[in-house]
Amino acid sequence: MRVNDNLEVPWSPGMTVRDLLRQCRFTYSLITVTVNGQVIRREEYDTYPIPPGAEVRVIHLIAGG
Amino acid sequence: MKILATRPERCTGCGACEIECARTWFKVDDKEKSRIRIFPPAKEGQPFRIVVCNQNGACIDVCPTVALKRAKNGVVQLNKSLCVGCLSCVGFCPNQAMFYHPDYTEPFKCVACGKCVDVCPEGALYIAEVADAPASVTDTWLQKEAV
Amino acid sequence: MSHHIAEMKAAHRLLAEFTYEKHPVQRGYTNRTLYINLSDNTIAGKPVSEEMKEKFTGGKGFGLWLLWHGIRDTTKWNDPENEIIISTGPIGGITTYPGTGKSLVVSLSPLTDSVMDSNVGGYFGPYLKFAGWDAIEIQGKAEKDVIIFIDGDTGRITIEEAPLEPVDTHLLTDILVQMYGGDDHHARRAISTVTAGSGAQHTRFGCLNFSWYDLRRRAARVKQAGRGGIGTVFRDKRIKALVVKFSDLKADSNGPADLGRLQRVGAKMHKEIHDYDDQQCGMRRHGTSYLVGIMNDYDLLPVHNFRYGSHPDGHKIDVKVWDARFTQGVPDGCWYGCTLSCSHAVDGFVLRTGPYKGQRVIVDGPEYENAAGLGANCGIFDPDYIIEANFYCDTYALDTISVGTAMAFAMECYEMGLIDKRATGGLDFRFGNAEAAIEAIHQMGRGEGFGAIIGQGVRRMKKIFAEQYGADPKILQDIGMEAKGLEFSEYMPKESLAQQGGYGLASKGPQHDEAWLIFMDMVNNQIPTMEDKAEALHYFPIWRTWFGLCGLCKLPWNDIVPPDNALTDEPAKIPEHVRNYVEIFSAVTGRQVTSEDLLLMSERVYNFQRVFNLRMGFGTREHDKIPYRAQGPVTVEEYESRAERYDKQLKALGYDVEKMSTPEKVAALRAHRESQYEKLVDAVYARRGWTKNGVPKVETLQRLGIDYPDVVEIVRRAGG
Repeated sequence: MRVNDNLEVPWSPGMTVRDLLRQCRFTYSLITVTVNGQVIRREEYDTYPIPPGAEVRVIHLIAGG
Repeated sequence: MKILATRPERCTGCGACEIECARTWFKVDDKEKSRIRIFPPAKEGQPFRIVVCNQNGACIDVCPTVALKRAKNGVVQLNKSLCVGCLSCVGFCPNQAMFYHPDYTEPFKCVACGKCVDVCPEGALYIAEVADAPASVTDTWLQKEAV
Repeated sequence: MSHHIAEMKAAHRLLAEFTYEKHPVQRGYTNRTLYINLSDNTIAGKPVSEEMKEKFTGGKGFGLWLLWHGIRDTTKWNDPENEIIISTGPIGGITTYPGTGKSLVVSLSPLTDSVMDSNVGGYFGPYLKFAGWDAIEIQGKAEKDVIIFIDGDTGRITIEEAPLEPVDTHLLTDILVQMYGGDDHHARRAISTVTAGSGAQHTRFGCLNFSWYDLRRRAARVKQAGRGGIGTVFRDKRIKALVVKFSDLKADSNGPADLGRLQRVGAKMHKEIHDYDDQQCGMRRHGTSYLVGIMNDYDLLPVHNFRYGSHPDGHKIDVKVWDARFTQGVPDGCWYGCTLSCSHAVDGFVLRTGPYKGQRVIVDGPEYENAAGLGANCGIFDPDYIIEANFYCDTYALDTISVGTAMAFAMECYEMGLIDKRATGGLDFRFGNAEAAIEAIHQMGRGEGFGAIIGQGVRRMKKIFAEQYGADPKILQDIGMEAKGLEFSEYMPKESLAQQGGYGLASKGPQHDEAWLIFMDMVNNQIPTMEDKAEALHYFPIWRTWFGLCGLCKLPWNDIVPPDNALTDEPAKIPEHVRNYVEIFSAVTGRQVTSEDLLLMSERVYNFQRVFNLRMGFGTREHDKIPYRAQGPVTVEEYESRAERYDKQLKALGYDVEKMSTPEKVAALRAHRESQYEKLVDAVYARRGWTKNGVPKVETLQRLGIDYPDVVEIVRRAGG
């Protein structure tokens, strides 16, 4: 499975968005997660299961000032 | 402390309180200048929404000029001469009960004067005596010795 | 006023006095600037033309325009002819929206020898405007230390010789708010000061401290115009302080065309911060300090002079520490109405070293840069050290970013054996040695020892180490994190080509105010092609420059986002906030503008600054080079710390990595990355309308309406 089209992440059955974020060490809070183009709400991170072969994007909104 | 308390289930949305308040404090019949606002029910079957300050004092700690202070009777008063009109208090009021209008550089809020109570035909408004609010963080700072 | 302060005041000698009529600010402008020459004590007003407002808007634009006309091509930073210009901008001074009180400072830099700009919070710029002046322009040099006092209440300006006040900021600011404000705290908040310190006198990276007043702590606090050494210029001119007084601030002091629109957008933004800051960046709790842990997690925290991106001790200086050390629940906004309130302080800190050892002080910070630069980059993960170093850098007026990056460089040179204790004067200058580091900072304050050498900055240290200690200049060049003479700020560009461009192509030097693209590039992978990167390196510097024309802070633009931002077309631009700024500019000036208009204002000033660099003898492609440490692994250790990632990249380029030694792989990766950078530079120059040598083309100047004869002359000479 590829995240942001540049990060290889091993998929496992039942993997949730939260599991994925942990695996990638994506600890930043201002993020938007889309799975196959659909925006997943923050409240669903712990429960939303990622289907195999999904296209996942985790966009960090961070721009430093 | 003294606050303006509400019985929203009795409110008919007549707006007499809004007009009386604006007339009292700004000498004009304009509900946009009232310190109490009535909004239609959020959903059918629900009461009118009465938005008015309950003197919780959250605003005291966000004011950059310490213009908001609790008077002896518990009412949070705005000192207009110190106010720079930043409206931080408007954004941070948990009840969205600090109001503003472009005719004035300072915002305004209910001070529990009771004039609206007198004109409400349904008894939806009353002055209540409630427990004092806890001291603000600001009070704690100002009671210390200056650095 | 205490007896002690009265004595200092009594010792003042009046050198010049100027009275003026006060007029209300009209739609963000007073339409005049203040000129002061300290060599002959001239004080005069200069008109602001419609052309100047149209083409240069304000803030940095005014600073560049005034400096352009005030100096010659050959002026040096320490010539009397050099100027320091401070200006806020047309939006600066409104109170209803967060982050609307910034000042922009422009001068020639002792580090880069070219034009420098630096932005800063605090009350000074807006108070100066409300006192009657869109900018203050200071030229010449005083014979002895002076204070310039602008009394905006009475319309009177004085230049006063001031022999007795100490120069270090934490003492001086406190004295001045009492001396010029009085005993009442509201009278003190009507005062704002600009001061430097003893470190600014002895290094090339002196900063300026701009004060604001904290009514709960009942103390003055300071923000910094950090980058570029303008504090050094300030002390070189024998300025002890600038003081402005303005008492009657109101929501409409800025003379807006439509206050109602400002109130509506401001109230909405305050509520957005109230509702979402806690779950987003927590700026109101800990400011930017939370970024230390994030950068550490993403392998982007500068560690050991930008060698590595993380450290196992990173958690020791992470946000949990700062949440506990910063006093909570006070509005820490550096201009009225900033509810993002990011300027936190450590209270009651007892200093353990230095001339003020034993004093209980308020420490303004640390922000991310200080924790990353003074701490992680130097291998020091001790919060108390960072707080103490932060304090002394502030009071001595040293740019914490330059201090951090310069000390990290010196430490690596020492660890690599390029210099030894002969050079350091006996200091064991290893990574992690907090005692040596704080002593070096005190030496900067005193102007002696190794600290004074570090205080020359990375560019000059490279020369000194090579010439005096026989250090290998090639290695020094590779690991010395400076470009154009300015030290890199505290983000790791090594794995982001876009950020390498963001740093290398920035007009002033590698400061991230122009572009901060690391995540967009490396993590989000949103700008994969060269064209995408070039577009980002056109848009974001232009957009971010706009804040410096108007007196705005960038943090409320992007360190808080509306809840539906993810669903917009271009979330990275935070479209609702861009619309807020369009609304604010229109409401203040009465000119209904679009976001394209804002970009055009900015593109003008951006290109003008590029030409200004050319004028001063820089500004071409060779000056946009960056050291290899900013681009990839210099050493075998660095390569091996990320071997998997680098091997993968080389494989993708067709290299047989199994058959290569690490030094061979280092060389191969370097050749590739250096050529990628050149391709990026080509793409960006083309997008910006510049030649292959980085010179703005005449047709670009014409499109922007800045094709003044002297500007065109300079680009033509350079092949534009």
